[in-house]
Amino acid sequence: MMHQSLNLLPLAKLEVGHHLYWQLGNLKIHGQVFITTWIVMGLLLIAAIAATRNIERIPKGIQNLMEYALEYVRDLAKNQIGEKEYRPWVPFVGTLFLFIFVANWSGALVPWKLIHLPEGELAAPTNDINTTVALALLVSLAYFYAGFRKRGLGYFAKYIEPTPILLPIAILEDFTKPLSLSFRLFGNILADELVVGVLVLLVPLFVPLPVMMLGLFTSAIQALVFATLAAAYIGEAMEGHGGEHEAH
Amino acid sequence: MIIMGTFYWLATEAAMGEMTESAGGFGLNFDILEANLINLSIVIALVVYFGRGFLGKILSERQSAIATAIQEAEQRKRKAAEELAIEQQKLAQSQQEAQRIRDAAAVSAKAAKEEILARVAQEIQRLRETASQDTTSSQERAILELRQQVAAQAIKQVEAELSTKLGNNQTAQQQLVDRSIALLER
Repeated sequence: MMHQSLNLLPLAKLEVGHHLYWQLGNLKIHGQVFITTWIVMGLLLIAAIAATRNIERIPKGIQNLMEYALEYVRDLAKNQIGEKEYRPWVPFVGTLFLFIFVANWSGALVPWKLIHLPEGELAAPTNDINTTVALALLVSLAYFYAGFRKRGLGYFAKYIEPTPILLPIAILEDFTKPLSLSFRLFGNILADELVVGVLVLLVPLFVPLPVMMLGLFTSAIQALVFATLAAAYIGEAMEGHGGEHEAH
Repeated sequence: MIIMGTFYWLATEAAMGEMTESAGGFGLNFDILEANLINLSIVIALVVYFGRGFLGKILSERQSAIATAIQEAEQRKRKAAEELAIEQQKLAQSQQEAQRIRDAAAVSAKAAKEEILARVAQEIQRLRETASQDTTSSQERAILELRQQVAAQAIKQVEAELSTKLGNNQTAQQQLVDRSIALLER
């Protein structure tokens, strides 16, 4: 009975798990994610080019805005990684933050449903687990690279600190970090879009507004959380655990 | 068999139909309610309104902060340039002064040199004169001595000759005494 009534509701029109598949060699890729990712990338590129095309001494307009964003990202990286090492990581952390932020907000602000796809629907790129896993794995690679570059093989010392008993947990951490990063972002964005979608299907007007505003807030926070955690992991990998570091 | 074939055909047809229906191609969907257009436009309007206020304030503050910082820096630069110019002027002045002192020193050195040279020359002259005086006086002394010696010798010779000529000659002695008396009588 329940099942039937659910089927009767227009809720069934929510297209979760439907994708616009593109064939790339042996791979089936989610086309709608690529489309929105390219759009987000294009937006960021246009903003960056527009901001740097006509650089003035006293920043105006978009240059001012992008400089403010850069300052924000730089402070974020500086706070998490530390004054000494943060500089080379500003581009990475900044790219993560800006991409995720714009992607999330594009999902919350752009009426993607105006465009009808053969299958699936356009949404925020971070709405797809593949995007967030890719970003999280990039973060993993980045902090391993940072750790090895800074401390060489001494990086492995952090697995048996402060005591080798914690070795399994330390190893487990390397798996849980990307897992939690990717699922946190994916879950938040997908949940937000689903809630909005369901509410829109139930009550099309005005009722979804608070949730949508909340979604905007969540999206921004999630971008910030992701970038902050990425920077924190990188900083942690470089500095090692306190006691051992002090002993040197 | 034919029925089976018909079923198969129907099944494939149905599948094809579903596929074509689901693969409706790219297009625009103008269902305003379904596209959530009204809510989205309200949200966008709110974001633009509040975002512009909030971000605009931050950005204009940032801009004015940068502008004042640049202005201050430029002012400092100008002041520094002025100070530099003043110091350079002072440097030029002191260089001039140094040059002047150097020239004066050269002049005075030349004067001192000439004075010293003149004095030395005078001294040399004087020394030479005294030396020549010395030599003339010693010459004269020597000549005088020689003269005295010669005179003494001459007297000795004369005495010797006198004693030889007069000693044993009574007449000559007589004659001399007579002549001397005659001389005295005159």
